[in-house]
Amino acid sequence: MTGLHDMQAMVRDAVFETDTQNPALRAISEHIEPSEGMSSEEHVLVYRRAILGTLVRALGNIFPVGKQLLGEQFFDGMARRYVQETPSRSSDLANYGASFSEFIAGFGPAAELPYLPDVARLEWYWHRAFHAADEVAMDPGSLSAVSAGDTGRIIFHLPVSASLISSDFPIHRIWAVNQQEWAGDTAIDLDEGGMYGMVWRQQYDMRIDTFDEPVWTFLNAVAARTCFGKMSESGIAGDLDTLLPRCVQRGWIAGFDLA
Amino acid sequence: MSRFIDKPVAGAGIGLRSTHYQTIIENQPKVPWFEVLTENYFGDGGLPLHFLEKVRADYPVTLHGVGMSLGSADSLDRDYLARLKALAARIEPTYVSDHLAWISVDSRFVHDLLPLPYTEEALANFAAHVREAQDFLGRRLLIENPSSYMGYKETDMTEWEFLQELVVLTDCDILFDVNNVYVSGTNHGFDPIEYLHALPKGRVKEIHLAGYEEQNNYLFDTHGYRVHPPVWDLYQATIEYLGPIPTLIEWDNDIPPFETLLDEAGLAQRVLDSMDAAA
Repeated sequence: MTGLHDMQAMVRDAVFETDTQNPALRAISEHIEPSEGMSSEEHVLVYRRAILGTLVRALGNIFPVGKQLLGEQFFDGMARRYVQETPSRSSDLANYGASFSEFIAGFGPAAELPYLPDVARLEWYWHRAFHAADEVAMDPGSLSAVSAGDTGRIIFHLPVSASLISSDFPIHRIWAVNQQEWAGDTAIDLDEGGMYGMVWRQQYDMRIDTFDEPVWTFLNAVAARTCFGKMSESGIAGDLDTLLPRCVQRGWIAGFDLA
Repeated sequence: MSRFIDKPVAGAGIGLRSTHYQTIIENQPKVPWFEVLTENYFGDGGLPLHFLEKVRADYPVTLHGVGMSLGSADSLDRDYLARLKALAARIEPTYVSDHLAWISVDSRFVHDLLPLPYTEEALANFAAHVREAQDFLGRRLLIENPSSYMGYKETDMTEWEFLQELVVLTDCDILFDVNNVYVSGTNHGFDPIEYLHALPKGRVKEIHLAGYEEQNNYLFDTHGYRVHPPVWDLYQATIEYLGPIPTLIEWDNDIPPFETLLDEAGLAQRVLDSMDAAA
């Protein structure tokens, strides 16, 4: 008699198997009752279709621009391969798809769209920001409470919802022209250059902000928890006197603590 | 927010879906309660929780989950339970429910409700998980009968016997899904009325209604249609047998305008009212 764990493992293996000979499907079907009009295998296949369909749809919801760029049929086929190869390790379906961008980068048939992995990364960051914790914007006045002797110890924070992203392609524009509400020209010159940006949520407002290289360098130093004194000494972040107020004012800096 | 805490829900409620947040918040429709899908609010913050709290300020809410995987041979996911407990503390739901099913094995999640072989081993495992979850959450769970599309040769009791035993072993309550029992009965060839009459009266705290889809050789539970006539008949029989149990209209695919859901809820309410009138 097959125990509960082994039975469940057999069902799972049959759902995700890629072997066209279907050995796992045949193995679990030994344990499944046939019914009028349906063989044991057909009963199991109902679940295979439903489960793969659910996961493919979930990816389509997280990566709508990727789906738009590839077309539904191509996207769904690619997503199905990802689903078969990539176990979901969380009970929360919203955590599924973190490695989809990497998978796309290695997926030969999608190589024609070299910007696609970066677009997918952007969409994943968007998805994470959408569900991130709520946060109150930083009060710029709070910085003046830090005594002059302590300013070097300040460690700034990005918003908790924020992900920094850079690409050799104008992915923020590719993203924008593929939104349903976009009414303008959808042509994009890939040679117009790459981008530095941050995906985040300002209260309930989802944002993809882009900026120049000095801001990018500064915000990366912030993300790495580099203290203000060290930034000033090393000059890694350029002209801090203008960068800092600009970043605070835009909301890209959400708070600070002292090292 | 606490005014509904000790008041059980009553009447015909509606499953809350994100497409309807705005219309509900703006128009405050006359709906006795809303049910939400637990895992949709497991994020740390953002709009979903914001809207849920707005709705909760005006309506009782129940939490309905698909992620507890109570039937899995794996041990229970403590992180899941902690999130659920935190959400329940924030939303103060009238009921917390999940399914007679498993969705994971060896920590790999399939994100679909898979049926169990109804064996003594599966029962002992399921009961231990329900007890553990109830102890952790500090509240009773409602367990829902699933729609199923396969049965195991190893099964040696009926689903309703399994549920009856489960209630005895864990003191849990039942969420009776009338559509699911119709779908499973058709797929497996049992009589839904026999199932209904085996339910421990007094333990069914909530009822679900939804629409299925007809495939070639079986019925598939898509929650994408109006409730079908034979399910309404079975619902009528259910209410006559169990009394006016709070009933929920579920719709998850091809979600229609809110008015359609109000319409369906109105039909269920009429059945509930006819019982009140007869009483």
